Amino acid sequence: MSLLRKLAAGLRSLFRKEQADRELDEELRGFLESAVEEKMQRGMSRQEAARAVRLERGSLDATKEVVRDAGWESFVETLWQDLRFGVRTLRKSPGFTAVAVLTLALGIGANTAIFSYIDAWLIKPLPYPQADRLMVLQSHDKKSGWTGEYLTSTASFLDFQKQNVSFEQTALWAGWAFNLTGDGLPALVDGARVSWNYFDVLGEKPLLGRTFSADEDQAGSGHVAILAEGLWQGRYAGDRKIIGRTITIEGEPYTVVGVMPGMFQFPLRGFANIWTPLALSDKERTDRGGSFLSGFGRLKPGITREQAEAESATIFSRLEKQFPQTNTNLTLLVGSMAEAVARNEGAPEVLICFAIVGLILLIACANVANLMLVRAASRAKEFGMRAALGATRLRLMRQLLTESLLLFLAGGAGGVLLGLLGVRWLESKIPEHIRGYIVNYGHVDLDRTTLGFVLGIVVLCGLAFGMAPAFETSRLELNRTLKERSGQALGGRRGTVLRGMFVAAEITLAVVVLISATLLVKSFFISVRTSPGYNPANLMVAQVALPETKYSQESQKRNFSEDVLERLRALPQAQSVGAASSVPFGGFGASVDIEAVGKPAPRPEERRNATYAAVSNGYFSTMQIGMVKGRTFDSSDAQGNAPSAIINETLAREFWPSEDPIGRQLRYGDQHNVCTIVGVVRDIKMYYLRERPRPQMYVPLAQFPSATFGFVVRTTGSAAAMATAIRDAIWDVDRGQAISSVEELQNVMSIVNYGDQMVTQLMVFFGALAMFLSAIGIYGVMSNLVSQRTHEIGIRTALGASPWQVMRMVMRQGLNLVLIGLSVGVLCALGAGRALASHLYQVAPNDPATFLAVPALFAVVTLAASYVPARRAARVDPVVALRYE
Amino acid sequence: MADKSSDLVQGTLDMLILKTLALESMHGWGVVVRTEQISGGVFRVNAGSLFVAFQRLQRAGLINSEWKSTENNRRAKYYVLTEPGRKKLSSETREWERQVAAIARILEAS
Repeated sequence: MSLLRKLAAGLRSLFRKEQADRELDEELRGFLESAVEEKMQRGMSRQEAARAVRLERGSLDATKEVVRDAGWESFVETLWQDLRFGVRTLRKSPGFTAVAVLTLALGIGANTAIFSYIDAWLIKPLPYPQADRLMVLQSHDKKSGWTGEYLTSTASFLDFQKQNVSFEQTALWAGWAFNLTGDGLPALVDGARVSWNYFDVLGEKPLLGRTFSADEDQAGSGHVAILAEGLWQGRYAGDRKIIGRTITIEGEPYTVVGVMPGMFQFPLRGFANIWTPLALSDKERTDRGGSFLSGFGRLKPGITREQAEAESATIFSRLEKQFPQTNTNLTLLVGSMAEAVARNEGAPEVLICFAIVGLILLIACANVANLMLVRAASRAKEFGMRAALGATRLRLMRQLLTESLLLFLAGGAGGVLLGLLGVRWLESKIPEHIRGYIVNYGHVDLDRTTLGFVLGIVVLCGLAFGMAPAFETSRLELNRTLKERSGQALGGRRGTVLRGMFVAAEITLAVVVLISATLLVKSFFISVRTSPGYNPANLMVAQVALPETKYSQESQKRNFSEDVLERLRALPQAQSVGAASSVPFGGFGASVDIEAVGKPAPRPEERRNATYAAVSNGYFSTMQIGMVKGRTFDSSDAQGNAPSAIINETLAREFWPSEDPIGRQLRYGDQHNVCTIVGVVRDIKMYYLRERPRPQMYVPLAQFPSATFGFVVRTTGSAAAMATAIRDAIWDVDRGQAISSVEELQNVMSIVNYGDQMVTQLMVFFGALAMFLSAIGIYGVMSNLVSQRTHEIGIRTALGASPWQVMRMVMRQGLNLVLIGLSVGVLCALGAGRALASHLYQVAPNDPATFLAVPALFAVVTLAASYVPARRAARVDPVVALRYE
Repeated sequence: MADKSSDLVQGTLDMLILKTLALESMHGWGVVVRTEQISGGVFRVNAGSLFVAFQRLQRAGLINSEWKSTENNRRAKYYVLTEPGRKKLSSETREWERQVAAIARILEAS
């Protein structure tokens, strides 16, 4: 109440200033008059009385000042004055203002853009009710420290589900691609098999119909499906009678029970258009060997992640004793779902970018602080005059800080605009294909948090970086300043040293940014340039998954692949063709436990596994995967002959480091099949460009038929025409078979590599920005230095210094700053490189080439930036310079 | 410019003004005269401090003001104690007496 009243009274005197002033004036006049009259009654003359009153009570004007200054509105008034004056002075030097605002807008814009991602991915909760209670469950090997997104085993998870008291509910899911037939062309639709409570645990309601019931999750009764709004609108034309209708999935009838709204999203899965219940069989429920499922749960209110994880540790150590064969060292970690999603989206990369743009902002701020110092030097006279007229130092500092804040606010406004452009650009670059994995489908807004952050850094930096110039400028020695000529700056030495320090710090920061950026960019180019082990150009890939219902017999699967391969071979533009149960960057990757026959059985924690693929004859030659030793698969590996296998170099090195692997035997998989190694091939990249080599094994497709295929065709023609031809060839064999999109492997790889590519583009941009800003910084300081020393240079030239000597003198001054900045920068960059180590691929954190090239480049750029002013110095005409005096 | 009121305990001037206004509404000079009279000339009030105090008290809602003509037909601003002001005065007075008693006891004890 009283605050309101104060506010109202203050506002009244602000807006009705004249009236308030008049009133105060009249009141005080009356007051003093009464005092005078009293004295006169005691016999003083009017003059004497007035004098005595002034002495005793204070003069009219002084009292008015005191009273006026006492209210808060006087602060606002001065601020308003300062602001108006600030705007006027800034407008009077448009060059300075433009450079400062632009510099800040670039720095703040980069921060705005990156921060909006931090906000969207790391600060905002996931879009589910009480999302902080959602936890993911990850398997963890206590001995090796390995952590995986999949469950340790289905049976262990079910034990945990039954025994734990921390979670309200836990749910299971597995990404799945479904063959959808009827209602149009056969389609391979991404989706998930989920436990019945999947949507309920997330807290999501269907748009139409209902979610699954517990009975529908029982073995043999899972023939129900939920569709996503998009699929329902597209394939089923938004038919509202879809609930209860039967659709054909994997050749079997499924009843649609619900439709989920288009907004619903589970980023850990990515785009999903169709969900069916897991309906695990008894065999799957008791499998302790492993799991293809992932799990998450909703904690009971009040239970913390740590409590849940402690309980999980207890339950799993019990299981470890009960099932030492399968559960040794394994446990289930409880982790925040928000963090898991953020990791998935590339939060570590965004944090790296955030650190980098933070440094860039500091460079920009240092630049502007420097510009302000230089400008303040030329305004020394103005400030001297104001001080002489009675302005206090505090008052001058306030004026300067207001100006600095004005600059930063203008820069902030520009930054928000640039940031918005940046965010829209980044958003437009996200491939459709990975949007499903990103919260809010990759859409990012500049919301209140981001704007608050920007305002925060603007005010903080405006005050912090305005402080040095304000302090330095207001430190006046009146006599000297007023006597000195403008242009021969104030503070002389001290101001110069301060500016030099700013520039050296700027160079340091820029070197750190540039070296970090270069390391990341180099790592990216190495990962792209390094051969993946095959040739992905002009190689078309088509993937299919045969429905178990229609292709239950091995012979059916074998016939399907042979028929398709035959038709593909007949295509005029197909140079060579092959097939594999899983192809690189495809969706059907599998891995198996492996063991060398004839060596002691490994202990549970020493078990090794390898990625596994059954491949056709001609697969290696079509992919152009190099043979190292032995032979490739041929007609001798037909069905019924002794099983054979081909392994990669890594597997060969790990199992038979000093022996010839050809002719050795390998036992693998759940069935403990034994096969004889007939060849060794080069390592290939299966999932990521930056992956480290791991054991890989191949078996002949003829001996081990598969229900999943990636058909590969090396082509000479256009990709689009070839894609149609391949699809037709497959449909010629089975009209109802769904096919993935048919694409050039190279394209698929670049989409997968999108994140790295994005980071690389940003790094190139940030590196260039850092270099540009620091070059501006050094140019500004050097040219100021020269104009300050014009007089001195004039004398030197008059006394016979050659232009070359003058240039050298000026450049040496610049060089010193550069050397200090560079050496500190390189030291800091060593630390930064170490912090980046885990993001680097085949680049050492202290990569010598980078650590030599960047400082060298920097030295050249900064010397060039100081060359221009140095030349100007060399051209100084002594007559002009001295007359200038 | 001897300003003896600055020797006063912080906030004492506010209390003296409230006390003076408790008897009747008064203009600035009247407050000065009354305070100095009653205190036997111990306090001398500087105009700056006085009018800043008026402004502060008025904004806090403890006093109100209105323009009236004085006994010798001059226009002056009269200050009136409000109800919250009256309450404030009595609580301040009680607090003051309590402190004075405490200090007196300490001084007597030594």
